[in-house]
Amino acid sequence: MLTNARQTAIVGIGATEFSKESGRTPMRLAVEACLAACADAGVDPSRVDGMSLFSMERNHEIEVARNLGIDELRFFSMVNHGGGGGCATVAMASMAVHSGAADYVLAYRAFNERSWRRFGTGVAGHHTGHEADDVSYSWTSPFGLVTPAQWAAMFATRYMHDHGATSEDFGRIAVADRRHAANNPAAFFHGRPITLAEHQESRMIADPIRLLDCCQESDGGQALLITTLDRARDLAQRPAVIGAAAQGVAGGQWMMRSYYRDDITGLPEMGVVARQLWKSTGLGPTDIQTAMLYDHFTPLVLPQFEEFGFCGPGEAKDFIADGAIEIGGRLPINTNGGQLGEAYIHGMNGIAEGVRQVRGTSVNQVDDVTNVLVTSGSGVPTSGLVLTTEGP
Amino acid sequence: MEPMDTGADTGMVADWETLRSLVGLTGQPTIAPVAVSADVVSMWCVAMGVTDPAYVDGAAAPPAMLDVWSMVGLDAGIGATATTDDPHHRAYGMLSEAGFTGVVATNSDQSYDRLLQPGDQLTRHTTLASVSDRKRTALGEGHFVTTESEFRDHAGDRVGTLRFTVFKFRPVSGGPGGGDSGAPSPERPRPRWNADQAWHWEGLRDRELRIQRFPSGRLVHPPQVTDPATGEPAGGPETAGHHDWVVASGDATLHSWTVTRHPPHPAFPQPNVVGLVELAEGVRLVTNVVGVPPERLAVGMPLVLDFHDTHEDVTLHRFRPVVPPRRDRPRPADEVAAGDRLPLTPIDVTVDLVTGGAVATRDPQDVHHDPAAARDKGLPDVFMNILTSTGLVTRWIGDWAGPGAVLDSVRIGLGSPTHPGDLLTLDGSVTSIADGSTIEVAFTGRTERGTHVHGTATVVLPDSGPTSASGSGG
Repeated sequence: MLTNARQTAIVGIGATEFSKESGRTPMRLAVEACLAACADAGVDPSRVDGMSLFSMERNHEIEVARNLGIDELRFFSMVNHGGGGGCATVAMASMAVHSGAADYVLAYRAFNERSWRRFGTGVAGHHTGHEADDVSYSWTSPFGLVTPAQWAAMFATRYMHDHGATSEDFGRIAVADRRHAANNPAAFFHGRPITLAEHQESRMIADPIRLLDCCQESDGGQALLITTLDRARDLAQRPAVIGAAAQGVAGGQWMMRSYYRDDITGLPEMGVVARQLWKSTGLGPTDIQTAMLYDHFTPLVLPQFEEFGFCGPGEAKDFIADGAIEIGGRLPINTNGGQLGEAYIHGMNGIAEGVRQVRGTSVNQVDDVTNVLVTSGSGVPTSGLVLTTEGP
Repeated sequence: MEPMDTGADTGMVADWETLRSLVGLTGQPTIAPVAVSADVVSMWCVAMGVTDPAYVDGAAAPPAMLDVWSMVGLDAGIGATATTDDPHHRAYGMLSEAGFTGVVATNSDQSYDRLLQPGDQLTRHTTLASVSDRKRTALGEGHFVTTESEFRDHAGDRVGTLRFTVFKFRPVSGGPGGGDSGAPSPERPRPRWNADQAWHWEGLRDRELRIQRFPSGRLVHPPQVTDPATGEPAGGPETAGHHDWVVASGDATLHSWTVTRHPPHPAFPQPNVVGLVELAEGVRLVTNVVGVPPERLAVGMPLVLDFHDTHEDVTLHRFRPVVPPRRDRPRPADEVAAGDRLPLTPIDVTVDLVTGGAVATRDPQDVHHDPAAARDKGLPDVFMNILTSTGLVTRWIGDWAGPGAVLDSVRIGLGSPTHPGDLLTLDGSVTSIADGSTIEVAFTGRTERGTHVHGTATVVLPDSGPTSASGSGG
């Protein structure tokens, strides 16, 4: 049981536009997003005294603090392992403001991962040292397994074999996300829904992952402002109460390459997160009205439904059938379009969409939202959170 | 070989009209320089890996040897070529004089009337069937020349036919394998190691796959510094820092896989198959799977360990399909259905196979035994001759078909040449059954360079197995 459950809130969200070429530096994107989040909350940036990042962020807190004119940072944290750290930045911030380590904490992610560096090209040519994290890639890179899509594909093939899922089942995630993106002016796929047939015709990237199973390499920045629920009640927006936020690593954990577990079709680290969230909030799958599930590659969305108990192991393909995960269905997911349809901001844009659902301001607003589930990177040390309308 | 019409005429050949006038003419019958002999058959069987007892001792000649008997052979001296006034030899000569000095065989369609026995003395009757306009291929520009031959025995009865096409081309300096292209080949990502894993990579250099073993007997891969079950350091408390291992048997099954397509990595063949294999010892490792076309990958398929050197100081493991042994009992026709797959069979293309195959098929062309001559003709190394490709394909079909099966015809088309160092994987399936016992097999042989060989073969299977024919004998 987390003692900060329902005690803190996300009070501001701010983002740049999402694009394939921002035309400016990632530092500018970070600062713009942070200023927008402060403005959204009605908090002067000078009151920010904490920053919470995850490890691939290259705009370090000291740089952003100088730019925002912050004199004192009392809390700063960087969670390891990239995209799994999105919700963990909120977990760190929540713990910090709940404990009094800080009053207002900014969590952000900003990059040019399309125009500067193709993020999807992975680690070929990297990791040339002899430390443990360099060496860990030696078990895969020399064989040509170097990109995130390729790492994810190895799980997908076995998931299909063990559970009878098909490429079309993966395609249903792609179709749902792009349908939602079609209504979102901020999304790459705004006005461009796709059909299952188009998914099936899209070219193979790393079997069985097709082009339309993949997220969008993106330029952009997203920031969140977190404070206590007491302070939140006096700010500009309806608070998105952090019901709980938690991290997870499970046995046999690797970065995207946990291939040595008995069963490689699940995401047990996501199960670690799920158990903490349900226990600390007293909620369960039937209490969730909409979910922002990390969707860098569609095959790794399916086991998330299973780890959070929306369905049993291997049953996700049945759970998502018949439009269940689209607007009007029993659990609409990724109502911003997700990372497949809106933009790949390393999952931070999914947290912002969760905030909008709680506020009632999403472009694909779900009726009567009280609880939203948000997850971070799948296949890596990860995190998740529940946002809610309800305080303690 | 995928020719493109150059759109140009035939102006490079001085007397094109004379050359064209030879088409349709049949030359003088030529007597094969050697009679069918058990020794030549035995040598051919060794070169091709044939173990069929019907042939290994030379009691009969494998049908695919049909045109071996009329090859000029090495008897005439290495590098010798026949020079006669026959229309097809005149055509070859005119094209060579015009600069089209390179020659590769592209197609061979053989059919057989009967099995040949030692002592059969063949006579060959060859007609120049066609000379193409100038075409452009990966090898350069040239002309396709097709001949049609009949082989007759001493009684004058036809024993087989051969329709044969060669590409006479003008070698391109620095062509597909030329040494002066200058572009460095990109390096595949190197493994990195430290004292905790060095023993694993050193083992691969010695061509053994080492799996970490803890004092408890537990096997772990990838290696760790302590036993995850007991917390004991690798090698045991008294030998901390040292490592113990077992050498993998090499047997494995495919647990999962992907084919890396985009973005293509320039150091890897396309498509590149990465497998997650489960070793017989119970641990998994990521590796490459070779010799399996993507459409034939299947979770659970048996694989066997192989090694390849990727850097000056690095050897990697890779896995290939398990090849079943030659079938030791007849395969009755009524047990075969259209769509049946023949076993995927990877063959290591070695210098021995290429040059030994050329010798065993009595092929004197220098490009099959002399690397310098091959490079002069724009190729990176010696390459397999069509008679060896034919021999390997027919051996593979025969090993699947089992005793009593007789090859009736084979149609071979060659694509990209195959050179020492390649892995040539034969794949195919039964396409039809006629007259109850004649089956057609369609096949391809692929290397990392592309499709080396493709074609069809017809085989007459026994009507039913001798066990059922001989009834209650047992």
